[in-house]
Amino acid sequence: MDIGPIWRAMLRNKAGFVLIALQVAVTLTIVVNAFGIIQERAGRIARDSGVDEANTFAFASVLFTDYEREQRKVLIDEDLDLIRNVPGVVNAVASNSFPLRQGGWSMGVALEPGNQTPESVGTAIYFVDEHGAETFDVTVIDGKNFTPEQVTWSLEDDNTWPAYGIITEALGKEMWPDDAGSYVGKTMYINDNDPVNIVGVIDTLQAPWESWTGVERSMLVPQRRPSEFVRYIVRAEPGMRDKLMPEIEAMLAASNKDRIIRDMTTMDDVRKLAYVGDTALIKILGFIVVLLTLITALGIVGLASFNVSRRTRQIGIRRALGATRPSIVRYFLIENSIVSAIGLVVGSALAIGLNIVMVEAFSLEPLAWYVIPAGVIALWAVGQIAVAEPARRASNISPAIATRSS
Amino acid sequence: MLKMKDVCKIYRTDTVETHALRGFSLAVEDGEFVSVTGPSGSGKTTFLNIAGLLEELTSGVYELDGRDISALNDKERSRVRNEKIGFIFQSFNLIPELNVFDNVDVPLRYRGFDAKERERRIMSCLERVGLASRPKHFPAQLSGGQQQRVAIARALAGEPRFLLADEPTGNLDTHMADSVLDLLKEINEAGTTIIMVTHELTLADRANRNLFVRDGEIHDEPPELHLAAAATA
Amino acid sequence: MLRYYLKLGILSIRANWALSALMVAAIAIGIGACMTIVTVRHVMADNPIDHKNEQLFHVQLDNWNPNDPYEEPNEPPEQVTYLDATALLEAGRAHRQVISFKSDRVVQPEGDGVLPFQEVVRATSADFFAMFDVPFRYGAGWDAAADRAGEKVTVLSTPMHEQLFGGEDSTGRMLMMNNEPFRVVGVLDDWHPVPTFYDLNNNPYQGPEAIYTPFSLAVTGEWGSSGNNSCWKPPEDGGYEGYLASECIWIQMWVELPTRADKEAYAQFLDDYVMEQKQLGRFPRDLNNRLSTPEEWMVNREVVDDTVSVLLALSVLFLVVCLLNTIGLLLARVIRRRSDISLRRALGASKAALFRQYIVEAGLIGVAGGLAGIGMTWLGLRGIENVFADYDFIQYLVTMDWQMVGLAVLLAIVSALGAALYPIWRACSVSPASTLRIQ
Repeated sequence: MDIGPIWRAMLRNKAGFVLIALQVAVTLTIVVNAFGIIQERAGRIARDSGVDEANTFAFASVLFTDYEREQRKVLIDEDLDLIRNVPGVVNAVASNSFPLRQGGWSMGVALEPGNQTPESVGTAIYFVDEHGAETFDVTVIDGKNFTPEQVTWSLEDDNTWPAYGIITEALGKEMWPDDAGSYVGKTMYINDNDPVNIVGVIDTLQAPWESWTGVERSMLVPQRRPSEFVRYIVRAEPGMRDKLMPEIEAMLAASNKDRIIRDMTTMDDVRKLAYVGDTALIKILGFIVVLLTLITALGIVGLASFNVSRRTRQIGIRRALGATRPSIVRYFLIENSIVSAIGLVVGSALAIGLNIVMVEAFSLEPLAWYVIPAGVIALWAVGQIAVAEPARRASNISPAIATRSS
Repeated sequence: MLKMKDVCKIYRTDTVETHALRGFSLAVEDGEFVSVTGPSGSGKTTFLNIAGLLEELTSGVYELDGRDISALNDKERSRVRNEKIGFIFQSFNLIPELNVFDNVDVPLRYRGFDAKERERRIMSCLERVGLASRPKHFPAQLSGGQQQRVAIARALAGEPRFLLADEPTGNLDTHMADSVLDLLKEINEAGTTIIMVTHELTLADRANRNLFVRDGEIHDEPPELHLAAAATA
Repeated sequence: MLRYYLKLGILSIRANWALSALMVAAIAIGIGACMTIVTVRHVMADNPIDHKNEQLFHVQLDNWNPNDPYEEPNEPPEQVTYLDATALLEAGRAHRQVISFKSDRVVQPEGDGVLPFQEVVRATSADFFAMFDVPFRYGAGWDAAADRAGEKVTVLSTPMHEQLFGGEDSTGRMLMMNNEPFRVVGVLDDWHPVPTFYDLNNNPYQGPEAIYTPFSLAVTGEWGSSGNNSCWKPPEDGGYEGYLASECIWIQMWVELPTRADKEAYAQFLDDYVMEQKQLGRFPRDLNNRLSTPEEWMVNREVVDDTVSVLLALSVLFLVVCLLNTIGLLLARVIRRRSDISLRRALGASKAALFRQYIVEAGLIGVAGGLAGIGMTWLGLRGIENVFADYDFIQYLVTMDWQMVGLAVLLAIVSALGAALYPIWRACSVSPASTLRIQ
């Protein structure tokens, strides 16, 4: 059967087909845009934080008794000694934050000193000692790790920034975009006038804020900060994490009663919490896409069934005039293809329109080129599947119906 | 050439068996114009359905053009209907969504002719039934007689060997009925074999040969028919 | 006549129960999807202090970097410095004024074997409770004098009070925090503003703090802020003193100005204050003070996540698909009922009468769809709660109030009537003679 007469017959009964075409159009609009968002979010979740997440955990030690600065230094040293000597611990560090934590310290760094430079680049700061690199599981791909001599305690009344830094490759690229050579040995300025000499470059270590556009930019700073609130990050040998967590918590709680140990958490849970919004959105949108496709499919089944019952006689006549069963099925498939084609063309335009609006209004990413064609093919297939059963029923209508007086 | 021998058709439901045709035998030669009459429920329509391959027979032999029909599958049966048989129905059975041209086109599409051949045949058939000027009209815009003419054009378009007409004038007034019957006669004289089922004896009389169906059995020209015809006259 | 139409409607729905059920289901699913998101958005954007919206104002002063606005294009910082907060509090030019920040403290409950725990404490000036209409169960807040004197007093929320002291009136009891004793002077009644409009930094849905202490006491105790803290230049001196004297912003400030005239006077006062400070070499940027009502402030801080707006747009489209489905089903019913319609027309029903009959029927389906839609919305909210299970505040965002229930039914009825219009028009244009023509 060719398209011509099918199309002309459809024109005689437009309303039902227009409704389905519109449904298909709006469905495509939603499905494609929802899929675009799902893709974007999934891509974000898939990014590597740089940390050995499966084997790393973190917690905080909070002093609630007044300690002198020197006492606090001693406590941190004692704690780290204890932790690093537990069998099964790869390494541990006291830092201000860690990737995916959603809270941390950021600073602007610039190529020139002075506060008049608009060209400063934001970077996350991780205060660490020479154990930081191994604990965070980062590879120093250029230059060297900090030496113990480079690591200093922060001073009470001097805010001068430490003179050394290890930066991520992403930060280096942002600072010196045109420089193909090594970043090691270069100097940048922080805190307006304090120089930082780059001693090493590491591969990947995300900033603590997963939603920040500069999430790949971070810097390890060789400084230890003796505050009441200290965050410890511990990397365990594979399989040891869950055993070590309660063990170390109990050990530290017992070693000093003037503080509490809290926020004991695995990196897995930190990741889960950091991306709970993205994960939830993916689930919600996925559900919407499935439900919507189902509803549209039901609409197609409904209209096709209705058309089959309305056209029972005409199908019988067609059979009497020589239509084979497959040709009756084909009639409905072609009819559905026409409706789908119209709906999908309109829907593609709507989808692009909605995407443009959403990109503008909510700063989403534009759709990848293949999402709309993929959605078109998928929804076309759904339409064909939906119409298949009513069409099969139609093909079973007996040609003898033609001789029955109405 | 149509030949039926001992054809039986039994309709079965869970509780009842209805013998619509019992031992039905018949031979129609090429070029004949045969009328089939009988009271309602006698089996006329069942005969027509079987002759037109719209239903399968329960037992017996049915040969069309020397070919045993009972062994054919659905696809082959569709093909035979399409190529060898033209149908004319009491209620015209035009497809309301299609215009005159597309209605006549339906069997040609299933036949697989190319566009040019289809158009040639459609226009020549419409001309033959006197409707060449209205290819774009829809059935609802035509009178009953015109609709039936479109149906006849559709039946002729495939140049079938047999025309099966089921009460072709049942829904028409006398005047229109006459003209439709004249048209059928003309078609028959041009060489197409026609089997017409009707309950109107005056119409039946215009055929070359009259058959009478009662209780699923066939009788060649039973004496009652003439008595009845005399009574109505 | 309405009763007759209702009866006809019910009869027709019963006669076509499968089709009717499908329509009700389509509307219910659409309403459910839409209302789920609308409800979440409604709670997120809710203004818990609506009744005082015209009298409360959030204060912003622009002490930021001369070369770089706090936020593009020219937004002043969302918090104020310690210098300005205390100066404005001391000036006392508003009917009431509140400066506050939050801080992590370690609470040490009485009794052996009960472990100390960390809690977020709000350090605030005395007007907080009166200004925000915070209800008390026992006792009251502290007064300005106690605030100035840095008295070690505290106010607890009901859950915190119950956790620490059981059910009895705990005013006068002592509470240890970071090894310092605080006297309980008041216990709040149930108070759970969502969002916490007075401090929209960090997570505004977590609910209010459980412990409140005087602002000046916190400063003398050198408490750090656990909320946002931004500086455009480093403090000139080290230590806490240097921090207090710095241009770092970390304090939320609100004022209560009962009349429009009060507001204008206060705005003038702020301008004068900033001009005065400019003389001292502070405030290098142009005059850019803001007084925002709670509602304006919530819009400014975008308490409604973009994601929710995206979902809202998608869910409205979702409802559209469901309605297109319903229109299709209604149309099918009209075509199927042609003979019935033309018979009624032949028996003398006017087009208007037919229209009324079908609109009543559509209304009935709308009501049913709305009621079922409430159920769907409930399911949808449970779904949201489930996928956000890792957020402990999610429970506050997924509650339906009567307003939302009413809106669900209303939306369903409007949707059903809207969907019914075209099919009804088609039905009304069936001619009385049409059954006679088409076999």
